[in-house]
Amino acid sequence: MEDFRFFIEVLVGGLLSGLMYSLVALGFVLIYKASGVFNFAQGSMVFLAVLSFVGFMELGLPFWAALPVTIGMMVLVGMATERLVLRPLVGQSDTTLLMATIGLAFIIEGVAQIAWGVDVRRLDLGIHDEPIMWLADNFEILISQLDIAAGIVAGLMVVALALLFSRTKVGRGLRAVADDPAAALSIGIPLSHIWMLVWATAGVVALVAGMLWGARSGVQFALVLVALKALPVLIIGGFTSVPGVIVAGLIVGATEKVAEVYIGPYFGGGIEGWAPYMLAVLFLLVRPEGLFGEKIIRRV
Amino acid sequence: MNTAAVLAEPAASVAAAQPVLAVRNIEVIYDSVILVLRGVSLEVPEGRIVALLGGNGAGKSTTLKSISTLLASERGEVTKGSIEFRGKRTDKLTPGDLVGMGMVQVMEGRHCFGHLTVEENLITGAYARPIKGAQLRAELERIYHYFPRLKVRRESLAGYTSGGEQQMVAIGRAMMAKPNMLLLDEPSMGLAPQIVAEIFEIVRELNQKEGVSILLAEQNTSVALKYADYGYILESGRIMMDGPAKALAENKDVREFYLGMSAEGRKSFRDMKSYRRRKRWL
Repeated sequence: MEDFRFFIEVLVGGLLSGLMYSLVALGFVLIYKASGVFNFAQGSMVFLAVLSFVGFMELGLPFWAALPVTIGMMVLVGMATERLVLRPLVGQSDTTLLMATIGLAFIIEGVAQIAWGVDVRRLDLGIHDEPIMWLADNFEILISQLDIAAGIVAGLMVVALALLFSRTKVGRGLRAVADDPAAALSIGIPLSHIWMLVWATAGVVALVAGMLWGARSGVQFALVLVALKALPVLIIGGFTSVPGVIVAGLIVGATEKVAEVYIGPYFGGGIEGWAPYMLAVLFLLVRPEGLFGEKIIRRV
Repeated sequence: MNTAAVLAEPAASVAAAQPVLAVRNIEVIYDSVILVLRGVSLEVPEGRIVALLGGNGAGKSTTLKSISTLLASERGEVTKGSIEFRGKRTDKLTPGDLVGMGMVQVMEGRHCFGHLTVEENLITGAYARPIKGAQLRAELERIYHYFPRLKVRRESLAGYTSGGEQQMVAIGRAMMAKPNMLLLDEPSMGLAPQIVAEIFEIVRELNQKEGVSILLAEQNTSVALKYADYGYILESGRIMMDGPAKALAENKDVREFYLGMSAEGRKSFRDMKSYRRRKRWL
């Protein structure tokens, strides 16, 4: 019984922390879906968003004032990215766009640190990375409050974005632009508006992800690396699927924690870092479009 | 306005009805170095089908893209001349503005949204119009009336439909914007002759019933001249010849160069001297 309870604890902890990866991965999916660009700067946007949020609070803004200010700032950053980076590169190859986002990542990281400094800061959301007492008392299972909160937030965001993509006119426009920007342009879908909207939304998603990660591990430069954790999630779930990101996040989270606890000891521990990548490689071999990604349509 | 300028205006053009589309002597350069069009002029009168003919690389697509201003996203630029749509110069307009004014281009190679269903493809065609609900349904039915095949396949992803169906999706999608002028770039590309005929019949129907003026770029000279009212022949970025479609179809040079026929009927190119084939008019 003790073993089983421990397993549940590991599994649930893994699943929930996986949702934190999903949150980061969502930002990638948004931009990839709408512009076919793998946005290397997503991790930097997470960092910039939460660092600015903490920065605004340090300047004396209360929580509920800092939030809209930061959201506004991220929207502006998104729009500026579209205007200054993507629009001049319309019609260029995907590789060119990828390189542009790598450059963008460096710029965002640099600007964020020039503006707000390089100190590690604490972010207090009022939700702590501590076990929920009620569960601990009644079932003797330790599950973090922060993990539960992240799970709920991730779930809500995914539902909202999935509805946006599938049900609304803008969502259809987004998918059309993703499929064939030239054709979208030819029937009068304003590419620049769609891209601005997507980058702005990705900025807001980055802020949400950054706040949860910042609350857990401190607001610091290392948040940029969170994006790397999102990579296996994207490969497994598919780059174009919003629900796929959630399922894959759960799989990645569960795999890494369970593997660490039960298989780790045979390797001397520390496999949490690379186990998800192994899984991603397997997926690339068997199902390159991911679990829910759009099938690569090739007519012969 | 001084008298000299008034006199310079030819009296005939005042009397004649304004063409929907007037392209005057345009020159197009790609990437600031590649000269593609060298003075192309053409007109599309209201409610007519005008064909733009010519071989590969003659500049047909470039002409259409200059008109729809899609050229800008391919690093091309109209460096000389002017294009007027309904009396308004298009050089400062975006493709979206032109769609709003009623001109839509159906691009070469169909360009459907592969991951959207056939119906979703059609709905995106009305993106620029503020319609929804019952009105949108009515518009869809209007398109399905012209393309009954699309109604059958409306739930399938456009990427999985046949080439002919994709061409229909592309034209139907453009029609959802309720255009008064369509630019069709090579609708016959890669399609079986039967399907080509089917599509051209529908194009003619759209022209007659909806009153849509059409500018059609085609390599398939015989089909295009069969359905068009007027034709322009483009070669190496210049208009070499123009005239009513019937006259062009009977012209000796056109028959020989583009229809593969001569006075003795159909001719084998094997026996022809190569300079005669390649020189054409230039």
